[in-house]
Amino acid sequence: MSVLEVQHVTGGYTRKPVIKDLSFSIEKGELVGLIGLNGAGKSTTIKHIIGTMLPKEGDIRLNGVTLKEDTDKYRTAFSYIPETPVLYDELTLSEHLELTAMAYGIDKATLDARSAVLLKEFRMEKRLNWFPSHFSKGMRQKVMIMCAFLVNPSLYIIDEPFVGLDPLGIQSLLDQMDEKKKEGASILMSTHILSTAEKHCDRIILLHEGRVRAQGTMADLRQTFAMPNATLDDLYIAMTKERDHEELA
Amino acid sequence: MKNLRDVWSSRFMHYIGEVQKYMQFIFTGHIAIVLVFLIGAGGYQYSEWLKVVQADFPAEIIIAVFVGVLLAFSRPTTLLREPDQVYLLPLESKMSLYFGKALAWTFWSQVWIVAIAFIVSIPLLKAVTDLTTIEIWSIFILVIVLKYISVQGEFSYRYSERGQMVWVDRLVRAIIFAAAVYMGLQAQFMLAVVAIVISVIYMIVFRKKSVGEPVPYEHFVKLEQNRMMSFYRFANYFTDVPHLHGSIRRRSWMDWLYKFVPYGKNNAQKYLVYRTFVRTDDHFYLWVRLTAISAVIAAFVDIPIVTWIVAGALSFATTIQLKQALLTSGEFRMDMLFPVPDNARQIAVKQIVRIAMVTQAIIVGLCAITQPMFYIAVAIVLVISELTARVAK
Repeated sequence: MSVLEVQHVTGGYTRKPVIKDLSFSIEKGELVGLIGLNGAGKSTTIKHIIGTMLPKEGDIRLNGVTLKEDTDKYRTAFSYIPETPVLYDELTLSEHLELTAMAYGIDKATLDARSAVLLKEFRMEKRLNWFPSHFSKGMRQKVMIMCAFLVNPSLYIIDEPFVGLDPLGIQSLLDQMDEKKKEGASILMSTHILSTAEKHCDRIILLHEGRVRAQGTMADLRQTFAMPNATLDDLYIAMTKERDHEELA
Repeated sequence: MKNLRDVWSSRFMHYIGEVQKYMQFIFTGHIAIVLVFLIGAGGYQYSEWLKVVQADFPAEIIIAVFVGVLLAFSRPTTLLREPDQVYLLPLESKMSLYFGKALAWTFWSQVWIVAIAFIVSIPLLKAVTDLTTIEIWSIFILVIVLKYISVQGEFSYRYSERGQMVWVDRLVRAIIFAAAVYMGLQAQFMLAVVAIVISVIYMIVFRKKSVGEPVPYEHFVKLEQNRMMSFYRFANYFTDVPHLHGSIRRRSWMDWLYKFVPYGKNNAQKYLVYRTFVRTDDHFYLWVRLTAISAVIAAFVDIPIVTWIVAGALSFATTIQLKQALLTSGEFRMDMLFPVPDNARQIAVKQIVRIAMVTQAIIVGLCAITQPMFYIAVAIVLVISELTARVAK
């Protein structure tokens, strides 16, 4: 059974759908990159998966259930790192971790053990009692990342994770993702940093105007675009040109 | 570049605009009514007391010390800003023109405080001393002159010492000024003039010392920021100040409250909402100011029905505003994804609002305790709040 199954999903903000008949799935232990131009529908796709937007048509299943069928099971199955950090101004770093742990039913001992590891990995041990107003963009991002990894879910949904992180932070995040993958977790990551995506993703989904233009391993994509030896950047640019042709036509 | 006079004028206009904007809220807000009421009550008490005051009441010494201390607090209003340390640097030698304007404003904006304090004490002086009207108004002029010297003195001190140990300077000036006023009140006008001369010499010492010193921008900018912040904070008791909007304070003295939310999955929203209420200035001060008004009315109005109506109205206002403030939010928050029941936040908000309102009821009850049937005010606060919380969406 796939961890995440998106089946024929159509949805968007207004009557005009942003994503159209979207279908893909993520298997256990897979790192999948969601790639697309600005406005291709990446964020909308993610919003549908995390449940802040509901599909007009189609189904999204996490560990076999939809949000409606079993809200608790669905929500416990994933954790989400948004593109722009969303923190509580009134909570300290340690309170963010504690709140997250409480909400996901993690006991105190596990919280302490996991957060100690994460705080060390992301070099934030000395900032436990700081409020977000004193954090830089990168630190805010780190708080979100730590909260997400604290939960230890089956699926991580990570939106544009590398912007604002320092090189050490990026490395720590990649290490954490690698570790979780080995433990069997799946990751859906949307990004514009294509070289990193090419290097780390098992599979890539190319979104284009709300539809899946192509998906598969790098080898699959090269075949689809008939561009052997192409990098992901080359494929991405090819897709852009394709769109320009369509617009001219 | 514009000259320094224009710089001052444009700063001044902006400052006045800002002050006006918030004064409007302060004086049209609910606390203004309470203030008028308190001033009226205070005035009435004072006039009653004057009828029975003993002739040996030490009015001179009390007024001298009080006015002396008031005079000594003459913080300069320079309206300097942080970038000035860079942009006004080339004009260092011409800054005296700017400061002249600033000190004139400082004098006029502060002199009325001490003037009112003195005028209020005139009836007392008439009651317990033999001073003639002319003598009393001569002392009034003396006080005004001292204020001018004080403004110049504090500025020169802060300039030359970069604001170090300003309380020592204030203490010295307070003693000299109190002595001057006391001499005046004893009709020893020659001695009062001597005290003035001493204070002028004191001022000149620091003025001489500051000649050639660079402008202590850092100190004056800090002073300005503190002044505006305290003004905004004060205004925030009456209205929402955007500069402070959503501002957060730790308020660690309230940490004990969080102990009532034990660690556990079912308490996640409570964990969050308790902290949101205590640490967000908007929410917390909303409760503080409405509770304060209710308490003051309960304490000073002896007509039970008035107390009850006010307590009920404010209970309604506090409950509905708190509930809405804590429940509505258009923005995405991470707790929207939490695997907890959808009504968890509602339950948590209901609980913290209940705690806040029980506290309000207790405070109002304690303030009304001298009245017969004070417990009815307590009951009204609780019942209205509970009904409001249930009915309001």
